[in-house]
Amino acid sequence: MRILAALAALAIAGCAAVVPSPPPPGSAPAPAPEAAPPSSRTENPAVAGLLDAARADVASGRLVNAAASLERALRIEPRNPRLWAELARVRFKQGDYAQAESTARRSNSWAGSDSALRAENWRLIAQSREARGDGEGARTALEQAERQR
Amino acid sequence: MPRLHLPWRLLRFALLSLLLVAAGFTFYLDFRVRSEFEGRRFALPARIYARPLELHAGLKVPLPDIVDELKDEGYREGRQESGDGWFYRSGDELEIAVRPFVFWDGPQPARKLHVAFDGKAVASVKDADGKSLSLARLEPMAIGGIYPANNEDRVLVRLSEVPKPLIDTLIATEDRNFYTHHGFDLRGIARAAWSTVRGAGTQGGSTLTQQLVKNFFLTPERTLTRKGTELVMAVLLEAHYDKNEILETYLNEIYLGQDRDRAIHGVGLAALHYFGKTVDHLTLAESALLVGMVKGPAVYDPYRHPQRALERRNLVLRETRERGAITMQDYAAARAAPLGVNARNAMGTSPHPAFLELVHRQLRREYDENDLRSEGLRIFTTLDPRVQGKAESVLARRLAQFDKEKRFGSPGLEGAVVVTDSQTGEVEALVGGRDVKFRGFNRALDAARPVGSLLKPAIYLTALSEPSRYTLVTRLDDNPFVWKSNGAPDWEPANYDKKFHGEVPLRTALAQSYNVATARLGTDLGLDRVFGTIKRLGIEREMKPYASTLLGAIDLSPFEVAQMYQTIASGGFRTPLRAIREVTTQDGKPLKRYAIAVEPAFPPEPMYLITAAMQGVVREGTGQALKNWIPPDTAVAGKTGTTDEQRDAWFAGFTGDRLAVVWVGYDDNRAAHLSGAASALPVWGEMMSALGTEPLALPKPDGIEQVLIDPASGLRADSGCPGATELPFVQGSAPAERAPCATSVGIVVEQVKQRAKSWLERLFGR
Repeated sequence: MRILAALAALAIAGCAAVVPSPPPPGSAPAPAPEAAPPSSRTENPAVAGLLDAARADVASGRLVNAAASLERALRIEPRNPRLWAELARVRFKQGDYAQAESTARRSNSWAGSDSALRAENWRLIAQSREARGDGEGARTALEQAERQR
Repeated sequence: MPRLHLPWRLLRFALLSLLLVAAGFTFYLDFRVRSEFEGRRFALPARIYARPLELHAGLKVPLPDIVDELKDEGYREGRQESGDGWFYRSGDELEIAVRPFVFWDGPQPARKLHVAFDGKAVASVKDADGKSLSLARLEPMAIGGIYPANNEDRVLVRLSEVPKPLIDTLIATEDRNFYTHHGFDLRGIARAAWSTVRGAGTQGGSTLTQQLVKNFFLTPERTLTRKGTELVMAVLLEAHYDKNEILETYLNEIYLGQDRDRAIHGVGLAALHYFGKTVDHLTLAESALLVGMVKGPAVYDPYRHPQRALERRNLVLRETRERGAITMQDYAAARAAPLGVNARNAMGTSPHPAFLELVHRQLRREYDENDLRSEGLRIFTTLDPRVQGKAESVLARRLAQFDKEKRFGSPGLEGAVVVTDSQTGEVEALVGGRDVKFRGFNRALDAARPVGSLLKPAIYLTALSEPSRYTLVTRLDDNPFVWKSNGAPDWEPANYDKKFHGEVPLRTALAQSYNVATARLGTDLGLDRVFGTIKRLGIEREMKPYASTLLGAIDLSPFEVAQMYQTIASGGFRTPLRAIREVTTQDGKPLKRYAIAVEPAFPPEPMYLITAAMQGVVREGTGQALKNWIPPDTAVAGKTGTTDEQRDAWFAGFTGDRLAVVWVGYDDNRAAHLSGAASALPVWGEMMSALGTEPLALPKPDGIEQVLIDPASGLRADSGCPGATELPFVQGSAPAERAPCATSVGIVVEQVKQRAKSWLERLFGR
């Protein structure tokens, strides 16, 4: 019974870690910046609309427009890892492999526990490295992708 | 054939020569007229736009700020039956008749928007039919141009766009026989002479063609030769081109006033400048006002001499009526109309010359200066007028207040501000001094000043990149310190409070900005490594290899500081500061997009730690005063900077969405006797608070764990320790030793909790 209660407390503690809460007055405030729960799916219709437009542009080969729509979306939700990931894909399609990798890593920095997105980003990084002739780096990136589960 | 007498031969020779010279001159004039008129390319300035305001539900901009921006864009308040360029406010709602605009990605037609507000944010955006819109873009504000010689500005129009009343009034006033004469008009000259004699003159004797020739080809001297040349060229022009071509060019060439240092040319720009509308929407009365100004734009300036301008306009209307070009009703209505000019919104070549200069410099790397001044390029920038406005007003007000308190006389304190989007690196505002209209010394870009303690985060970042040696709680030595190096005098740094503090935790040394502990840390790490960090943060300037550089004896501009802090704000990704988004040709064809570029420069873990330490600066260190403006849960990360004798005062910091750098000091390097916390920080705080802040929440990297620490000992604590605080550590780097207050049971429980937490995190996602 005690163990169960302890586990429950731990679970709550685990959850508490994801919710940024202002420190209670008087206590020593938590100095560490705590991330808001990363959400790959946006609630914001403006961002969703721009994401749709970007995907349509990619489908019809208008890559510059797609990138522009994604940047517009990023100005609204700069911490949305999905947007950075999509931008990384567009960069890859544009043949800018260095930016594709950097941008995918930027996405990962906001991806939190979204291991599917992290794996996706690592696979894109592997492809980008492959395209630049870095076979060794590509393998490392693929291993990273495998590890995200 | 009888031989001619000698005098005759001479005369004939002289006549022939004269004819030849005249023919040659005419030929030359003809060549000039054709070649210059054929090209007939007006130099069009590159036109520069602010960012377009993108309205969507949830946008954290309050209604009054949007109203201000609409007014600045020349939108009129009050509902109108037709047309665009107005807004109507009722309670928490705005109705906006958005003007059409050609964006870089295509044209957007005029449309009506209904925007509802909910406190400090946009609640909904709907179209005229009440359909909800996810996103609506307003046309961007024009914020200036890169002008040709004499700062000539114009907006080209086609003759077909020019309304008939404008042409009718022009011809009735300036050149009644325009459609029939061949470049000059004897009847016109006679009439002008007669009306001058009568003392009722409204006309000069020059035809429109002559006026055009004068403006187009000739210098403004008044000599007989020049008058003759003008006449010949006018006749030649008429011989080569039809009336409509000449009229269209005239309408685009004509000088119609001055807006500070910017010359208003052509009816297209004049319509926008005086009436805030495109030329095709001009009324009869408005047309008559512009035509009346042709004679003397300064004399009949409707802003400075409204009465004189009104009388002149009515005279033009009467002449037009007399000529039968307008009906009696139209005439009466136009005469009764008020002047109707825009509220005076003098902008000159730009309302924000400091930001424009940044744009111009970034453009010059890729475009020819000549092309920028003549090709009519359209430049879409990142300037956020709302941010720029607040930055300008807060800086000016605060500096005036400091001046008053200090009574140091003139020249007063100066300052500079740079504001960027902390994630994308877009420059939202740039203020180069307290007189924002002054196109001169741009302190934000060009005032390289000692940065003092602003450099400290780079030193601490270097240390925290080595978690086996340095953590946030590592004890640093703040006892007296002497640095000896060959060929340089001994260096004995002192603290701001002239005291030494013994052993201090690393995070406290940064929070309190202790110079001695920092100098010792920097020299322990090695100058080269610290300089390497500064370079990787984005500083390209050469640094002097002296230990004193560690304490900020390095001159940087506010813009360079912003670049350095940008890398920290974006989690270790170097993100070049950008002021331009897109460039198109004059007719909207996209030429170039300047995309977001990121480059990983630091691993996420030390970035997370330095940010936490910089949040400590604001929470409990030298930046504490920020709480007077910004709520503590915003968790701003920042750093104050003050140089010797308080010559330079700095504050640099970032929230979840914006980064800003503020510098305050005297141009002549006098001691300002103001610390960064006392002068730059209030500017930062007041400005950011007026803009509304997004809390700073960094994503926790995998390699970071939170450990409960006893602040007194800097050792592992448990729930039994009073005042214990959770601090981030690179995994495995936290102290193993437990604090005296911690019981062994407590430690084990803590460890189990930590392990279970990370296990649960992995299982369920965070």
